[in-house]
Amino acid sequence: MSRADIIFLLPHLMLTLGAVLVMMAIAVRRNHFAVYVLTCLTLIVALYFLPKTASLPHNVGVLFVVDGLGVFNTMIIMLAALAVALMSYAYFDTREERTGEYYMLFILATFGACIMVISGHFVSFFLGLEILSVSLYGMIAYLRKRERSDEAGIKYLILAAFSSAFLLFGMALIYAATGDMTFEGLSGYFSAFDELPILVMTGVGLVVVGAGFKLSVVPFHMWTPDVYEGAPAPVAAFISTISKGATMVLLVRFFLAIDGFRFPVVLTIFTVISIASMVVGNILALRQQNVKRILAYSSIAHFGYLLVAFIAADELGVEAVNFYLVAYFATMLGAFGVVTVLSHPERDAELLDDYRGLLWSRPALATVFVVTLLSLAGIPLTAGFVAKFYLLASGISTNQWLLVILLVVNSIVGLFYYIRIVAVMFDSAEEREARPAGYVGNFATLLILVVLLVWFGVSPQGLIDVIRNLVGVG
Amino acid sequence: MNTDLLIFFTSGAVAIVATILVITQYNMIHALLYLIVSFLALAVVFYVLGAPFAAALEVIVYAGAIVVLIIFVIMMLNLKKDAEEQEKSWLTPSVWIGPGILCAILMAEILYVLLAGGFEGNATQAVGAREVGRSLYGPYLIAVELSGLLLMAGTIGAYHLGRQRRKVIHRFLEMTDE
Repeated sequence: MSRADIIFLLPHLMLTLGAVLVMMAIAVRRNHFAVYVLTCLTLIVALYFLPKTASLPHNVGVLFVVDGLGVFNTMIIMLAALAVALMSYAYFDTREERTGEYYMLFILATFGACIMVISGHFVSFFLGLEILSVSLYGMIAYLRKRERSDEAGIKYLILAAFSSAFLLFGMALIYAATGDMTFEGLSGYFSAFDELPILVMTGVGLVVVGAGFKLSVVPFHMWTPDVYEGAPAPVAAFISTISKGATMVLLVRFFLAIDGFRFPVVLTIFTVISIASMVVGNILALRQQNVKRILAYSSIAHFGYLLVAFIAADELGVEAVNFYLVAYFATMLGAFGVVTVLSHPERDAELLDDYRGLLWSRPALATVFVVTLLSLAGIPLTAGFVAKFYLLASGISTNQWLLVILLVVNSIVGLFYYIRIVAVMFDSAEEREARPAGYVGNFATLLILVVLLVWFGVSPQGLIDVIRNLVGVG
Repeated sequence: MNTDLLIFFTSGAVAIVATILVITQYNMIHALLYLIVSFLALAVVFYVLGAPFAAALEVIVYAGAIVVLIIFVIMMLNLKKDAEEQEKSWLTPSVWIGPGILCAILMAEILYVLLAGGFEGNATQAVGAREVGRSLYGPYLIAVELSGLLLMAGTIGAYHLGRQRRKVIHRFLEMTDE
């Protein structure tokens, strides 16, 4: 490893350093606040050391490609992780006396996601994914005294292990056919094919199964609502944003490298997955009474929408994917942030009844939730609208008319269940038990997220320019 | 069909049969015996494919260290009186005859290879310890470090989840006690 390589990997090195420091801190003395501050500092320092744009792209050995796409998404992931960390403090402060391990797993999971977005090799792809999954097993089942946490943990453990097996087998088949595991080398082999050989096609299909599990697109979505329901609210926020976003970026990088959408069979697979995710996600959400499960189904539908831009796979499509991820991250973090703030020590605020009359009892919090729900639904003046508009633009520019029409129809169906939550919050107030006191970190995070949502919704040009500059470099 | 392929397919079949039996056994010890056979068969597969170092590691690390560790844990969990009789029942002929037959097949293969004076396998080149070491500590150095972090995540998660669950007294029972 040369000196330059180390400089380009500094954010990742800082994260590993942070994980080790947290471990040492726990060994000396267990103090929740100290560990929490250390975690936030780690993320801030790692953000500070992000490589400068002018020096991109840079290859670190064969394993990593530090380019604009990678750096931009590393930044987004770390910022999202910071938001989740700020929410976690208030959440775990009232619940579990042993909190140190959570932050170690949390930093490691973030590290795994950051490795995924810059990996240009099957080995780093797989190791990053596994670091993320293995940390998540512990985080999902962290509150062991709760009824559903073991169920969620075991479900995620078995299914994630199973999907990893698919992924590995797919990689092995592609390697067997081409003899190369770097994305760069594979792009050369794939450009020689006019049609995919059956061995490579099977390999690509198995990789899609493995990644599809992490993205929780239909038909690999069955675990999502159960795990979101059983996991602590901040962890559910982590899974729905960072884990999915990192996988999406990796898929974009892989399919751009092999130019996968040249092959009709790949196009068909992703079109079917996209349509199925939009339709199934929205229909299953319609009759849900549980807010965490609604958010889970909504995230399934959103990745169906996102695949429309992914299938476009041109410059506009990649921009749209990045913009959508930013808007989706901010929205989901805001929604789960509200769930976190409202949660009682014994159980999360997941029932629709927990939100009845919220607008009258806690107007500020309700406003935040309304903004995030409207953004999820894609109402104008929120980031969700611009993001969806971007998706439509990229879909239309590549003539994916079926997908575009279904996207619009499904957005309308989606409105129904988002508005239903809003309607419940407008209901007349009733006497409620006292809610847990708020923490400054929570409210600051929620405030920033809402400001961002509205800002990106009203004037998205700044963010679009940043994305265009960075992604254009790569 | 040449003998290399025959050996490859035989040991591959043994690995598949043994692994299916691992999953279908109800008794942990029975499953473990088949697991060992499965690892040994995989080692032969590696050897035939031209990776003698990986084959040796498969035997030493998986069949040796890891399975022995699992057996230790199971034995330590069963320290009661009836455990002794249970352990006796674990090693009746009906238990070891299945793994024994599968091992005998692998043994026959090894004997054949030894008597034939060794063979090169059907790989274009053998990957020995030197090549494995070179690539692990050359281009894949960071991958080795990543595996370290992966193990760290696994250890911390297992440590947290494996801690003894605190006894939760039901609130109604608590009330009757008072």
